[in-house]
Amino acid sequence: MQADPSRTERAREMILVARGLVKDYRRARAVDGVDLEVRAGERVALLGPNGAGKTTTLLMVLGVVSPDAGWVEVGGRRLERHRSRAAEEVGFAAGYLPLAERLRVREYLRLYGQLYGIADPAPRIDAGLARFRIPHLAEAMGTELSSGQRTLVGIVRATMHHPRLLVLDEPTASLDPDVAMRVRTGLREISDEDGTALLVTSHDMSEVERLCERVVFLSEGRIVADGTADEVAASYGRGNLEGVFLHLAEEHLEPHEPGGAQQSDHPL
Amino acid sequence: MSAGGARVSWLRVRAIARRHAYVLLRSPHRMFDVTLWPLVDVLLFGSLAAFVGQPGASSGTRAAGYLLAGIVLWHVIYQSQIAVSTGFLEETWSRNLLNLMVTPVRESEYVAGVALFGMVKLLIGIGVMVLGALVFFSFDTSSLGFGLLPIAAVLLLVGWCISLLVIGIVLRFGSGAEALAWGVMFVVMPLSGVFYPVSALPDVLQPLALALPTTHAFAALRGLVDGKGLDWAQLGIAAASVAVLLAFSLAFLTRMLALFRRRGYITRYV
Repeated sequence: MQADPSRTERAREMILVARGLVKDYRRARAVDGVDLEVRAGERVALLGPNGAGKTTTLLMVLGVVSPDAGWVEVGGRRLERHRSRAAEEVGFAAGYLPLAERLRVREYLRLYGQLYGIADPAPRIDAGLARFRIPHLAEAMGTELSSGQRTLVGIVRATMHHPRLLVLDEPTASLDPDVAMRVRTGLREISDEDGTALLVTSHDMSEVERLCERVVFLSEGRIVADGTADEVAASYGRGNLEGVFLHLAEEHLEPHEPGGAQQSDHPL
Repeated sequence: MSAGGARVSWLRVRAIARRHAYVLLRSPHRMFDVTLWPLVDVLLFGSLAAFVGQPGASSGTRAAGYLLAGIVLWHVIYQSQIAVSTGFLEETWSRNLLNLMVTPVRESEYVAGVALFGMVKLLIGIGVMVLGALVFFSFDTSSLGFGLLPIAAVLLLVGWCISLLVIGIVLRFGSGAEALAWGVMFVVMPLSGVFYPVSALPDVLQPLALALPTTHAFAALRGLVDGKGLDWAQLGIAAASVAVLLAFSLAFLTRMLALFRRRGYITRYV
């Protein structure tokens, strides 16, 4: 089967470039020289044990946290100078964030649609709710929703403006398997149909293997592996990503030599 | 929220204003801010005015005018400040700050949206007070003339400036600093000579009071109550000092937002 030329063309385009990201919180280094690139339409998982620097990296990519060193470019625009324009290209959803209080789902989505510059968001709201099979929630108050429903509405919010990069922090955390499946299916559709790149953090390795074509492992603020799930697992001599994850988590718990910088000797 | 660029999107401004309108409409207790409390203040200060203005009391009528006109105009600062401050605090209370900060909305658009909605609240609150003063105490605020408008405009700007300072402090110190949103007004009020001239304050506080734009705005208001017309000199000083305060507030907020991003304080709200 021949590849769709327009999709191939899009796939060459770099939507996210981060170079030399460093972030210190007080005396602890959360992110230590991260270089990250995501191409249009690519589905990338950012993995690592707790405290590896995933969320801080995402927050820097989103422009909510400023790096102490390094820079981020989204759609060719540097965040520190053009954050508003760059933000138009990005959507963000996190499983742990509630919906704004005292708004119905439709009002909430309308608010965010307009913040992303959509004058009449109604058709996109309907399409988004239909894609995730929740049109019946349109008139519900945000506080009446279950955590799974909130997550689905959050993803509709994050994708209404057809972002070129969708950033998801733990999108399926604490969801029932059927809702998690609906999330993954919807995300894959969005990626395939709109060419939206996904940058996802997750602790569910099987989900990552099903959804993402590339995984980036972080440990102690550094990228220690970058490749397909099979490549990464093989390079650590493990059968799957979970094995890699457990290995890195154990390494993270081991005492370090005082003052010694943590250098990964991993080939990837 | 983003600082880059100067182009303001009216669509985003309206969206923010509408969001806060829903919050007000669906939180009946917040209607107290624009209905009950202004009315309570009018009753309190109106009754005080009626007492000091009773036959035989010296300078009573004038003092009654100071009290009622003073409290109505004080609410211009109070309501405008509270509307913008609590508008921002609402985002922290509902853990909506991160969702908002990743959108293309600029700080100027956000503040404009909250301030726009605050204007509606202000008009309702002041309307209640003006009506209450008229119905209960036969005090016609409009009799003070059009000179009220520039004074009210200065006070509106002061309220917004204070709210920008409060937001900056909350960004820097977190939710623990929220009490400032209300508490700061109790410091500004006595220093501003809302009901009395600066000369009535202790000597040590007078230089501080004279540095406030509100002091000169209320001095101009007393000129209107006295029937002397608008004191342009006082109004000019008030306008100039509010311009300085506005520049300072914007610079402060910008700096605090940069610090918020640099230190990753968003993690307090996720």
